Order: sequence, then C-alpha cells, then structure tokens
Amino acid sequence: MDGSLQHTAERALALMRARGFDAAQAGASVTAHEEVNFAHDEPSLLRSTETQKVSLLGLVEGRKASTELTEWGERALGERIATLFDDARSAPQDDANAVSAGQHANIVQGPQQGDLALLADKVRELLDFRARETPKFKLEEGFAAHTRLHSRTLTSGGSELSCSAGWYTLTATGTARDGKRVSSFNYAGGSAHEFAGRAAPELFGIGEMLRDTVQQIETRPLAARFVGDVVLTPTALEDLLEWLHGQLGDVQLIAGSSLYRDKVGSAVASPLLTLRSRFDAPGVVALSADAFVTPPVEILRAGVLATLTPTLYGSRKTGLPHVPVSSGWELAAGDTSRAQMLASVQRGALVGRLSMGNPAPNGDFSGVIKNSFLIDGGQVGHALSEVMISGNMARMLHDVQAVSRERLDTGALLLPWLRIGGLRFS
Amino acid sequence: MQTTPSAPAPAGAPYSEFRHHELRRTRMLMIDGSLAVNSRTAEGGVSARVYDGGYWGFASAPTADAATRERVAAKARQNAQAMSRFGAGKPALALPGGSCRGEHACVSPRAPLAPAACVERLSELHAWCTRHFPALTSSRFVLHDEHHSKRLATSAGSDVLNTIARTSLYLTLVAEDEHGAPVELMEAISGKGSVADLDLSLDTLAPLLDRMHEHLQAKRQAVPARGGQHTVVLAPELAGMLAHEAMGHPCEADIVLGGAVTGDLVGRQIASELITMIDFAHHFDGEEAMVPVYADDEGTPARDAVLIDRGRLTEFMSSRETAAKLGIAATGSARAYNPHDEPLVRMRNTAILPGTSKLDEMIAGVDDGYLLMRSYNGQADSTTEFMFGIGLGYEIRGGKLGRAIRDTTLSGSALEVLGSVDAVSDDMHWNCSGYCGKKQSMVVSMGGPALRTRAHLGGE
Repeated sequence: MDGSLQHTAERALALMRARGFDAAQAGASVTAHEEVNFAHDEPSLLRSTETQKVSLLGLVEGRKASTELTEWGERALGERIATLFDDARSAPQDDANAVSAGQHANIVQGPQQGDLALLADKVRELLDFRARETPKFKLEEGFAAHTRLHSRTLTSGGSELSCSAGWYTLTATGTARDGKRVSSFNYAGGSAHEFAGRAAPELFGIGEMLRDTVQQIETRPLAARFVGDVVLTPTALEDLLEWLHGQLGDVQLIAGSSLYRDKVGSAVASPLLTLRSRFDAPGVVALSADAFVTPPVEILRAGVLATLTPTLYGSRKTGLPHVPVSSGWELAAGDTSRAQMLASVQRGALVGRLSMGNPAPNGDFSGVIKNSFLIDGGQVGHALSEVMISGNMARMLHDVQAVSRERLDTGALLLPWLRIGGLRFS
Repeated sequence: MQTTPSAPAPAGAPYSEFRHHELRRTRMLMIDGSLAVNSRTAEGGVSARVYDGGYWGFASAPTADAATRERVAAKARQNAQAMSRFGAGKPALALPGGSCRGEHACVSPRAPLAPAACVERLSELHAWCTRHFPALTSSRFVLHDEHHSKRLATSAGSDVLNTIARTSLYLTLVAEDEHGAPVELMEAISGKGSVADLDLSLDTLAPLLDRMHEHLQAKRQAVPARGGQHTVVLAPELAGMLAHEAMGHPCEADIVLGGAVTGDLVGRQIASELITMIDFAHHFDGEEAMVPVYADDEGTPARDAVLIDRGRLTEFMSSRETAAKLGIAATGSARAYNPHDEPLVRMRNTAILPGTSKLDEMIAGVDDGYLLMRSYNGQADSTTEFMFGIGLGYEIRGGKLGRAIRDTTLSGSALEVLGSVDAVSDDMHWNCSGYCGKKQSMVVSMGGPALRTRAHLGGE
C-alpha cells in the first residue's frame, strides 16, 4: 500500500514538474471504512467502503490552483495536471502562495486492522443497554466503525509526509418518548484507538446521554426572563471553541475582522482556561492540510492568548507567524467537581446543547438551549423547552467561573464542563 | 458524463441496487481580491446495496471496472448476510416503490465558464466594491458549483440516469461599527446548473451589492432584538428555511420512526389553513425544480409529497424501507450524497405555497414586531421545535420599518408558529445554496412566500 501511494505521489509530482509548475504538492491517500449501523433500535446495515484520492496543488508564477481526483491512472493524472496548469495560470498572482518545504514525518498510530466482531459487539451492547436501562429512549440511528487512512504527501520543496492511522468510532442519536410526549433529539459519540475492555454505554458519554434524555421528556419553559449562569457540558462547549478557532484562522485574519489579530500575549479569557493541542488523538493526524508537521501547541495559557493559527498562506498574507495546526484539542481540567459546580449556581441552566445560528463577527450570539435543565438554588430541576440564551462569545471566555475536574474524551476533543456567568435567558 | 453501462443489480438477493456515481465540484474563495481557494475536484465510484434476511449490506469502491463491480456486488451481499450475527430469521419487509427507467440529464444551454472567466468576474466584484464602498473592511466571495451524475440499476427493474447540478455565489461584506467591532452581511444567489448559469455581470450584481451595503450601514447602528415572543414577518427568503427545518425534517419517515411527534398527527390540523407545504420531486408550477429528482437512489419513481394541505398534516417523505415500516407509499425520497454513501430519506425541493397577501400590507399590519430578512442556517428537532439564525432584520413599529437589529436567533414550535400564521404573501423565493446535514450532506432547494406569525426571538 505505502509503495503504491509513494509511487503515485512521486509520479504526480514528476508530471507536475514536467508540465511547468514552479512548485507543487502531491498527495495520495486510501481510506478503508467498515461500519455496523443500527436504526430504530435494531441492527440495520453493514457498510464497507474503499476510497482513494490524489490531491494536487500547483504554483506557476505565483498563481495557484488545486484539485482532487479519484482516478490515478497515468492518463487521468496527465489530463488533470494539464487542466490544473491552465487553472493556475488563470489565477491572480499572489506572493503569499507557497508550498511546504523540508517537512518529514512518518506517523503510524491506532489499530491498523478493524475487528468486525468488536464493532458488532459494541452495537449489541448499546442496543441491550437501551432496552434494559432506558427503554423510553429510541435509538434513531448510529454506528460503530473502524477507519484506516493511509496517505503519502510530497512537495517540490522536499517535504515527505506519510501516515497510517486507524481508529474506531461509535455514535448514537435518538429521542426519548413516553406516550405522545417526546424529548428533543440528542446525540453522543467519538473516536478511540481501542474499544475492547469498555462497554459501549461507557464510551463518549453515550450511556449518560441516554439517561439524561429520558429525563427530558417532560419539559417546561421559563417562567420569566433573567440573567444567570450556565454550566456548559462538553458538547455545548464545542460551539464556543469552534468560534474561537475561527477567529484565529485564515479567513478572519486575512479579512482583518478577527477580534484577536493583535491580542497575542494578552488575556483574552479567564485564567482558568488553558487550551492546547492533542494532535495525536484518535481520528486526528498531526499533519496540516498544507503539508506541515503540526507540533504540539498551546492556544490559551491560563487565559492568555499564546498564538494565532494562520496557515502558510495566511501567514505570508498577513505577516503573522505561521503556526500549523491539525484538529485535536483539549481544555485543561480544573479543580471543581461537577457536583460542586452545579451546586454553586443560584439561577441558570445545565446546557446540553446549543442550537443556534453562526455567532456575529463580534461574538454576539443567541441560541436555543436543548437537552438542558433549569438550575435553581444549586439544585438541578426540570428540563427546559423553548428557552434561549444570548450573550457574547468573547465575553463568555472571560466570564468562565469554574472548570470541572471531570472531562469527556471523545477523541478529537477532551473537554471539561464550564460554569459561565452573565448569560441572558429568555 | 461517462457511466458504466447499466450494470446489473447484484443477483440472488430479495432486493438489490447498483450505483455508479460521479461528483464534480468547483470552489473559489476570494478574500479582498486574493484568491485563497481555487479548486476543482472530481470523485467517483461504484456502490452496491443488498437487502437480505431483514438486513442491509453496502459496499463501494473508487473504480468502475468490471472486476471491481463484481467484487463490490459480492461484498454487499456478504455484508447483508454477515448481519445475521444479530439474529437470523429476522422477517424481511416487502419493499414497495416500483421501478423506473429513463435518463434525466441536467443540460445547460451555456458553455462552461472557464476558471479564468470566473476569476475575472470575482475580481471585478472586488474592484467594484473597493471603488464604491471604500469604508468596507473586507469583501469575500465564494463561487461554487457541483454536479452529480448517478446511474442506477435495481433488482426491482429500475435503470435510470439522474443528474443534479447546482451553483451558488456567496457575497459577504464586512464593515465596522462605531466601536470598531466587525459587522457583516452575507447574501447568496443560487440556481440550477454550473457557474456559467449564474448571472455574474455587474449589471445584475451591482444593485444587489448596493442593497447589501445599505443594509450593512443599518446594521452598524443595529439594536439588540427584545428576547421573547413577537409578531414577526418572515421575508420570502426565510419561508423556505422554515419549511425545511420546522416541518420538513419532522416529516421524514425515518425521523417519524425515530419517535418524532409528527407520527401521531397525520390527518390533524397542525397549521393555519393558509399553509400548504409540499416537497416537490422535480417540478414546481410547470418549471423544473432546482434539485430535480425523477427517480431516487433506490430507483423509486419520485412524486411530490404533500406534507401539509391547508393546515392538515397529510403524509411523510419516505424510502422503500421506511414506507414498508409505516405502511405508506414510497415517495422517492431516498438519496445518497457521495459515491460511497447509502441512500437516506432526504428532502428535495421543499416549499410553502404562496397565498394572496402583499408583503407591504403584511408589514403595515404589525403594530410592534420585526421583519426578518436573511437566515444563515437552521436546525430541526423531533419535537418540531426549530431554530434558525437571523442575519438581517428590522423593527416594525406602527406598521413601519424601524431600526436594524443585531444578529439573532428565531425559534419556536413549528406547530405553534405555523398555527399562528395569519398572512401569506403572493410571491415566492427559491434557493438551493446550502447543504442539509443528516448523517450525510445533501443538496436541496427550499422556497416560500412571506409569512406573518408569532415566534420567539433571542435577545435582551
């Protein structure tokens, strides 16, 4: 496999050079995926897929174009490279265009072979758990899967990157129902290098999600608007992190609309927050899309912004230091237990999921809190319906009052629960 | 398009299908005149799916030669049989849906637009914005098209070629408010075909950019919406989103089987009598829809699904299996996004039908409320409680438009919101710019007129 990928990438790079590209990046990858699905509380489908891809990026006179294609036979590759050359020639010149150079890595991680029996076992365990422990929960759909990714990327700058990564995934989505009363849908899932030794409901908070959702069949709206606290579960916290990453990346930096363009070294969040990479996590490979090795990086260090994350292009466009990143992140654990955190909230909500539009560029947002419970006087009360919170993402980062000791590990993300004050409930 | 000649569906199983699927996409992103993304991709592959012993097996591979097709078909059959580890003898459903034969290719009368011409158009837009709106912080344009070609054969006798081609241009303008904070506005235009089928001329787009700029200036002074229940007028651009999110998803048969509240409401009055909502298969009002589906990816002849008829919930969108489970007719709504995906129940062209009111009169009839004009995304729920983000809106006071409001979120129970509709405009707006997300992405279109109703707005 690796030999074939190496050969394909080498051949593509040679063809691109021969065609006249000044600089080029060529990658070849093969992904094999096996997935045991369930639907409506029953095993339903076994799905096996093989995909292959050649990814090419070429520069000519500072002009750039990229492509991906499935077919990598000599003729298909030659024809596409000829077209790519024309595409690049028609692009505007941009001195920021460049390809990686001098990068070397050979990453091998995770289970290289899937175990179909193990996948089936996890589905069986989950279905049995539902029937035994949470019969009111309807597993609408989900799957247990194994994925294996082989890739090889070469650049004209001498970069040589390869990876052979395998990982398992388990997901579950559904609702709870009692007679004609129905909860909001809920989901949980994640990736791991190993499934054996842990029952399916113990993975990625899936069992807890099923139990919580059953408690959300009976809901009530708020009696009145108020300003209060939220305890964000790790799932709800993902929206906050996604917004932050967007502010630190190419589009907002190049457009000049990032709130953090000039904030490196400044406190942009509560000192309780430390955000760092976990680029070796299951389902994550420590390589960037523009062919750089991604060493570990800290984004927030005790609330202080340690770095922005422009790609090579974004860096050359803005003059900011290039910081290659991949996709796995962890937020450091705090010293407050979840129980203490909930008990400390006088008025607010335990928020399981935020259903909302994209936050405004200045961080303002409002969203419906789903799979959520009222907290009153430190006690978790009834489940909520039709309740919105509004606030500002940047302000929320500052207003974190507590970080839990416990964290939920879903593979690409390892996140605690956060208590944040000052949200408007309506 | 190059397709495998009508490949036979895998033999020896109660139901089977074989699909050769090609997907081509173009994407260009220009930020302040710099072409950050200039990409054209092509992926393809063959897949087989088999229903045997009450279980499904699916397999796919990236090449389409005869040996691969045989291997994929055999693997799908093996996979279905392997599922018997969960218990053999599971009763297999008799799958309804019939069959279809024919070719439905999306053919544009226009020649494809060369990348150089695309770049030239985007650069013109950027230059025009720089010239006319010098105070702008940034302009961003995303030009996109995608073309699906699927050749499908099933053991039920279907042999069809379906193509779907759609294109869009997203325009985003960014300014600063009086405190220096960024304020942005996004607009999308979309249509059937490739980028060549979009009118990217300045004659057409300059007036649109002018209107966007006016709205953006209003947003720089925007006030927060008041949180809570309000009378709202949803512009036609939003009604499609309401149709899709609020009642479209809860009317997908797999969601119904998952316990959605709609399962108990068929035949009941769930909305105002002014509301009729249909998921159109391939035509609306005599014209081909933006995402025409003549036969779905199970080879079922596609027909319109009338979800709500004058306020009464009438039927659901279904696949062969979900139709069998619910004891209803299959609507031809099973669709797969990429060559390696299995078909799922998905919407096609979902719309609320126009009424007789005029938008201006609908606004004039509101003493205290909001006009909501643009939405960026939305989400549905099994309870029919929906939400979507509002990127542009104005206060209505005494029947007149007032100040712009900051970005907010609209939510509510679809049953209550649609039940509260007291006016439906006589115009209609369609778009196909976004993706619907389920297990897979999907291209869909949505449409509707302006609606006046009551719903929950996020705010202070």
